[in-house]
Amino acid sequence: MIMTDITLTIDGKQVAVPKGTSILQAAITAGITIPHYCWHPGLKAVGNCRMCLVQVEKWPKPVASCVQPVSEGMVVKTSTDEITKIRKSVMEFLLINHPLDCPTCDQAGECRLQDYYMNYDEVPSRFAEEKVSKNKMIDLGANVMLDQERCIACTRCIRVCQEVAGVDELTLANRGDHTMITTFPGKKLSNPYAGNTIDVCPVGALTNKDFRFKKRVWFLERTPSVCPGCSRGCNIEIHHEELKVYRLLPRYNPEVNNYWICDEGRYGYKFINEDRILRPRILEKNISHLVSSDEAVDRLAGLMKGGALDEIGVVANAQETNETLQALADFAKTVLKTRHLYFSRREVENPVSDNFLMTADKNPNQAFVDKLGFRPLSTLKEVRGLLVLNSLSPADMKKVIEKKVPILGIWASNENPAAHSSAVVFPIPTYAEQEGHFTNVRGLTQKITAAYPPRGEARLVSETLEELTERLQTNARSYTQNSYPLSPHL
Amino acid sequence: MTMEFSPENKKKLAEILSRYPTKQAALLPTLWLAQGEFGFISQETMEYVAGLLDISPAHVYGVVTFYTMFHRKPPGKYNLQVCRTLSCALRGSESLLDHLKKKLGIGENETTPDGKFSLCTVECLASCGTAPAMMVNQKYFENLDASKVDEILNGLK
Repeated sequence: MIMTDITLTIDGKQVAVPKGTSILQAAITAGITIPHYCWHPGLKAVGNCRMCLVQVEKWPKPVASCVQPVSEGMVVKTSTDEITKIRKSVMEFLLINHPLDCPTCDQAGECRLQDYYMNYDEVPSRFAEEKVSKNKMIDLGANVMLDQERCIACTRCIRVCQEVAGVDELTLANRGDHTMITTFPGKKLSNPYAGNTIDVCPVGALTNKDFRFKKRVWFLERTPSVCPGCSRGCNIEIHHEELKVYRLLPRYNPEVNNYWICDEGRYGYKFINEDRILRPRILEKNISHLVSSDEAVDRLAGLMKGGALDEIGVVANAQETNETLQALADFAKTVLKTRHLYFSRREVENPVSDNFLMTADKNPNQAFVDKLGFRPLSTLKEVRGLLVLNSLSPADMKKVIEKKVPILGIWASNENPAAHSSAVVFPIPTYAEQEGHFTNVRGLTQKITAAYPPRGEARLVSETLEELTERLQTNARSYTQNSYPLSPHL
Repeated sequence: MTMEFSPENKKKLAEILSRYPTKQAALLPTLWLAQGEFGFISQETMEYVAGLLDISPAHVYGVVTFYTMFHRKPPGKYNLQVCRTLSCALRGSESLLDHLKKKLGIGENETTPDGKFSLCTVECLASCGTAPAMMVNQKYFENLDASKVDEILNGLK
């Protein structure tokens, strides 16, 4: 709104920002970073850390730029000698009782105390007294570990609980150098967004039980992606090294999730590392054999040629990308010319949902599955075999067994019951290892990127479908499906 | 046993609440009322007060622990509160505290086995001009030294 813009000067740069903007935010607009601990763009400003003090011309004292709104013609200086001296004093106070245990601290490498110390140091220490010692290992609950000695009492975690999760679970107890973050005695942190307290903690006070002591953060690469945990499609960063994912962090997107993700999504990455299908295999007389990708494609083509192609059903999955779903739909419609287009999806018992980020549909891409016209597998008609993407929900698996429909081929990233009973199994990448898109519950299509290449011999579904198309259109050897019955124990 | 204010204190609480724009604002006088009735502020009391004022127990805990005047355990008959802030510290409150500890055989935030004395340190008692200072329950004692403290203790029955 141009009408209400206020013009001010920060470090010689003219900036126009809407009325009510804080000096700190105006400075960010101008590309000037003012150091701060307690201010967070997603939380209410409280002005308690004093690190963001700046000078305003003609004003008698420095002001906290995070809580001071801009005014017309204001001339702000963010890095005068006096301000530098003040920030050094703030740092000195913050570090008086700090344990300086950076070598064993998980925050090292992404710690504001470390970062700002490079700019505002005061060497040597003038503190001759004994440091106050506190508890260094408190399990606050919900995977959040607290080291009270490292805390600088900025209250970001308290505000995340209040403002994001909507529950007042944390507080500052005691006073002065005995101040500490705590829950009510005997109570645990238990809100489904508790992990965000760790993200906003500017120091090593709150660390993640799931991540701590596993990896130095500077070894981690960061890949932008979208959470596949539910249909919200929260934007995330995948933090990985080589072929392993170590953690997921929220990625700012004001359209979807702001600065936050839920804990369910945050800790939903384990399947990327564990229980993977990494090589193609075929089931022969109920015994699984590892084969080359070529052999697997040959085998599946042979099985499919044992009868009419349009009597084969395909089962899409709401876990897969738009590109994969589209490739499967095209294959089914143009190559198989089948009308049997179904889908399955991840179903959990008592799915948690709320009015904030979590939806009850624990799939990232139901919207696109619906758009392509796939129908629920519960409506399964007579088919002579199925091609399955990813997996089948327990109910769908039951249905397939009841109907005695063999699974001819499956494209799966992880071991699952459908893969165990499929005649041919193709390993595919998880969402972390491929490019593509998910369409979320509100119809927003968002891009995911590959953190690293597909593991093992995993290949994109579209690649094997192309090869399969070629094989089906030539006179390759034909297998009869009778040799590969559905495993009786499944 | 569920905790509840006496009818008289319920009336007082209603009067307190009428004085403030929000329920949360009435926290300190409500806690004071509770300490008056129940003798100290237990966890149960904090949860009761939180419920009365529609705020979280965590917030109440933060406030209770901030103020040394709220007791989380039943205090002794005589609660000795030694000022630990600057002026008193410069005028010898630390050795005064040591003297009291030795004499009573208890540490900070402890009570003698007979329940007579409890000892704690508090922030500035606003008596810097007559430092070091100590409060015994609601009463001030100033310009203290070890012998004066002994005298005071002897006078407390």
